[in-house]
Amino acid sequence: MKQQFKFKPGFYYNSNHLWIKEDDSGQLLVGMDELGLDSMGELAYLMLPTVGSPVELGKAMGSIEAAKMTSELIAPLSGIVMERNEAALRNPLLVNEKPYDEGWLVRIEPTQWAVEANTMISGDQVTAWWNEEIERFETQGMLD
Amino acid sequence: MNISRYIEDNQVSATSGLAIDEMLASRVGTGQSPQTLRLYTYKSHCALVGRFQNIESELNLDYCLEHGISVNRRPTGGGAIIMGSEQLGVALAIPGKSDDSYAGVREQMARFSRGIVAGLSSLGCSIEFRRKNDLEIAGKKIAGLGLHRTPSGGLLFHASLLVDLDVPLMLNVLNTPFEKLSDKEISTVAERTTTVRREVGENLSVDEVREKILEGYQEAFQVDIQKGNYSDAELVEAQNLENSKYLDKNWIYQTTDVPDSTGKAKVKTAGGLLDVRMVLAGKMIKSTFIGGDFFTSENAIADLEQSLRWHSSQSKLILGTINKVYKRWSDDLATLPQEALIRALEMALKRAEVSAKKVAVDPYGCFVSPGSVHV
Repeated sequence: MKQQFKFKPGFYYNSNHLWIKEDDSGQLLVGMDELGLDSMGELAYLMLPTVGSPVELGKAMGSIEAAKMTSELIAPLSGIVMERNEAALRNPLLVNEKPYDEGWLVRIEPTQWAVEANTMISGDQVTAWWNEEIERFETQGMLD
Repeated sequence: MNISRYIEDNQVSATSGLAIDEMLASRVGTGQSPQTLRLYTYKSHCALVGRFQNIESELNLDYCLEHGISVNRRPTGGGAIIMGSEQLGVALAIPGKSDDSYAGVREQMARFSRGIVAGLSSLGCSIEFRRKNDLEIAGKKIAGLGLHRTPSGGLLFHASLLVDLDVPLMLNVLNTPFEKLSDKEISTVAERTTTVRREVGENLSVDEVREKILEGYQEAFQVDIQKGNYSDAELVEAQNLENSKYLDKNWIYQTTDVPDSTGKAKVKTAGGLLDVRMVLAGKMIKSTFIGGDFFTSENAIADLEQSLRWHSSQSKLILGTINKVYKRWSDDLATLPQEALIRALEMALKRAEVSAKKVAVDPYGCFVSPGSVHV
């Protein structure tokens, strides 16, 4: 079972199963990881913040629907939205199918990343956390 | 779960009914209100679309206006429904763990619906939780379920239980893939859904069903739920939410980037003509209608249609689902060749995809970005 779900090395993760990837320009790409997506099911709808709008760590930045559950997307960092994935907005299944690349959600110009990066799981911590999460999800019957 | 309060409402307006549900879940999330079970009916009738649906695609708004049917948008997901005095609304407001934000949707839905299953079972219904989070009796849907997680960490579980259903009214209110609405279409849809009255008895009242559902929750969760009322603070908050959100046209007429498209196909089989219509939301199958003049069990066809609701449009996944349903109803579906059905579904799907591409090329009136007033 554990081999079934993969994380991407070098990314940052949080307990909501969102990932953050730093790019060369200093902007940050945000997406959802395989484990969170599997437990939710296929995304039917997705709503993302408009380009230019501010987002704040811990506050709603959009919303999703999967398997008839709706939920807010909680921002994993603070900053300004520079780009949103229009292809995923039109076809949210792209997020399920290619979560770590073409299924990204938003690109953000961070305002407090130096501090907020500490709220994320990264580097050597990721493998242990990922395995613990798989066990937790399996124990609680959250995986299909 | 420690559900401690039970509230009963009758004949509520669409705006008030929705606002109270959301208020309860939001306050339970912050610990300001007790965990609450609310069993209520709406004033006949209102039409409520799912959280992200395009209301103009889902509802016949002219008909609603002409017949005084109010329209609104639920915070929960799923498809459009009609609610009135003979559909029982079941709302459960409970806390959700903040670290399980997106986890275990199916598991949670099954758990929260146990009270309904227990209540209807006590009336003699063989009800089961299945597939895309619906409650069914022998393949026929009797209740639709939805879940909403509030930003405060509260959870709203909602079910619309069909004690009875005015099928012609529903088909006039909801936009359907039918070209015309004849007696045949009406009877076909009536045969593929069911109601508590049809299963138990025509004389059963909504209050009797409500009583059984309350007992069902008490039994399923081993809790003593006391009848209560709203606090003044709750009523103020619900009124504010009603004014700021559920009476706001920006919320009701919000649109999504996910385009709807429709495709249809007709295939001749040895048993008769097969007529398939499919509605897509993006690349997700939103609904499928299987009709024609072949003869088979309506339960089996209802099961096929329900299995393909909110389903991926990937061919291999469709094939897997069809195989499972054919195994379940092997005798009943013997008159409908599986390969003919698959061919018809694929043709309808391709036509829907072509139609979606045409809309994408000429997006007049479509793909309007949702307003940012209500996230």
